Amino acid sequence: MMRLLSLLARIPGFLASLALFVLMVLTFTDVVLRSVLNAPIEIASDLTRLLMAIMVFSVLPVLSARGAHVSVDLLDLLFYRLNIARWRDAAVDLFCGAILVWPARRVFDLAERSRSYGDTMEYLGLPLFYIGWFIALMTAITAAILIVRGLLLIFMPRLVEENI
Amino acid sequence: MTESLIGFAAVLVLVLLRIPIAFAMGFVGMIGFMLETSFRASISMVARLIIDTSQDYGLSVIPLFILMGLFVNKGGISRELYAASNAFMGHFRGGLAMATIVACGGFAAISGSSLATAATMAKVAMPEMRRFGYADSLSTASIAAGGTLGILIPPSVILVIYGLLTETSIGKLFVAGIVPGLLGIVLYLAAVRFFVWRAPEAGPAGPHAPWSGRLRALRDVWAVLLLFFLVIGGLYGLFDVPPLNLNFSPTEAAGMGAMGAFLIALARRRLNFRQTLEVLQETAITAASLFAVLIGAWIFSNFVNIAGLPGALNDLVTAYNLQPWQVMAFILLIYIALGCIFESLSMLLLTVPIFFPLVTSLGYDPIWFGIVVVVVTEISLITPPVGLNVFVLKGVVGNVPTSTIFRGVTPFWLVDIVRLFLLLAIPALALYLPSQM
Repeated sequence: MMRLLSLLARIPGFLASLALFVLMVLTFTDVVLRSVLNAPIEIASDLTRLLMAIMVFSVLPVLSARGAHVSVDLLDLLFYRLNIARWRDAAVDLFCGAILVWPARRVFDLAERSRSYGDTMEYLGLPLFYIGWFIALMTAITAAILIVRGLLLIFMPRLVEENI
Repeated sequence: MTESLIGFAAVLVLVLLRIPIAFAMGFVGMIGFMLETSFRASISMVARLIIDTSQDYGLSVIPLFILMGLFVNKGGISRELYAASNAFMGHFRGGLAMATIVACGGFAAISGSSLATAATMAKVAMPEMRRFGYADSLSTASIAAGGTLGILIPPSVILVIYGLLTETSIGKLFVAGIVPGLLGIVLYLAAVRFFVWRAPEAGPAGPHAPWSGRLRALRDVWAVLLLFFLVIGGLYGLFDVPPLNLNFSPTEAAGMGAMGAFLIALARRRLNFRQTLEVLQETAITAASLFAVLIGAWIFSNFVNIAGLPGALNDLVTAYNLQPWQVMAFILLIYIALGCIFESLSMLLLTVPIFFPLVTSLGYDPIWFGIVVVVVTEISLITPPVGLNVFVLKGVVGNVPTSTIFRGVTPFWLVDIVRLFLLLAIPALALYLPSQM
């Protein structure tokens, strides 16, 4: 069970890495083809946008689970001295998770709307709502992870400290 | 005006409670926007920004430049750059410290992060300077100061963020950073000379490297230097001549750079599958955190705009009959003060949405202001008592008291102030090169 979980946890990172690698090769190839053979890749810009969305949103839950968001740790010493750092971290996670819920739902609504309009990517022809669904799903997962992390910090702090 | 100020204060409080900057700015911006419009409009604005930002073609420059830096780093460039500059400068008095500055400048050109430059160079340069009996104050200060070159010399992640926040051309920002960055290196070298002139025992001269050794040292770094030249030259349009016709957008330059760095690292057998995966994943995570921060900053700036802050600030300037230079001086003072609390990225994100409209409406050039802001945040990174580079360095080096590092940093800090005044007095230092593009 634990092995399956840890395998699952690796998928987002792997997906993001793959997307980024393809993005790098794609950009390189596009420039070379354009300047040497005068034959740019037409779908390059659409593909770039797709790959970016995949890269950013697949690692967003990983980033949040690791607590690796850009933040200011100026008062950390104070919190540690007062022995409330854990409570603060729990509160921050719960707060961040909670405020993501509405945007996640709204992204899903917008995706549904673009599905009813039949919006597609210009060159790639991919329906835009797939990307919308993916973003909504990953934002929701991120919110869930943040809330679970916050709760774990309150009730089972060991588990968070050991795994991260 | 009042709403914006309350919003700004709320962001500060949340950020100090260690709420991630992205969430603090996003939350306050969302609530503020809601009060100005409606719940529905506000949530829709946030959702739209989340969807559009992740699919913005221009933003792909961020992961690609980070990727380039990490690949080059894996190739072991920091050690080789240091060895090369050491071979040329080590025999001067204070030469190892000077070599550190130059190597930091070179490394900065690739990595684009001050903290990373300081941390990396500390591991390489510190043991060497210790071995030759350099005073801790000089050796740590040259690393801490040299590290700040990272955020100005292109490709700089901070300049990319500034360009995206303000819709200023990233290519021009990069090119504008070149002369001020080189000026920074020259002035830092002068600071080292001044240091060893005052205290000759702090930086004894090393042995003379023979020319054969110098050429060997160069052989290790030429590929990366060439890559850097290609990337920046391509941005500048150097190769936009027949039969090449190579003219890069920032994204393309970043993609070429990343691919080139990947190939160089492969050719030197410094990269296996596992490490490649690690680098890719680390890049994706860093890039995603920057995307989150950008979305937050945009939400916040939508709020201050709809609350009418830019107009209110302009009215304030007119009401008090302030001259543009007085406003600029005031803004710079605020930056130096903020530098005692925030590191450069947070400072930039918090202040640019507020100051940028005002500064441009006073007739200042957006590119020039970008460079000035970056120079000021650089200064803040080594400003006592909380310059962040100093603390990163202390973390790596360990047994040197913070006060020693700050004492050593003082001459470097002073020449930074000189550079700031030069930039203020002669905008062409930053603007000449981009005007030729």
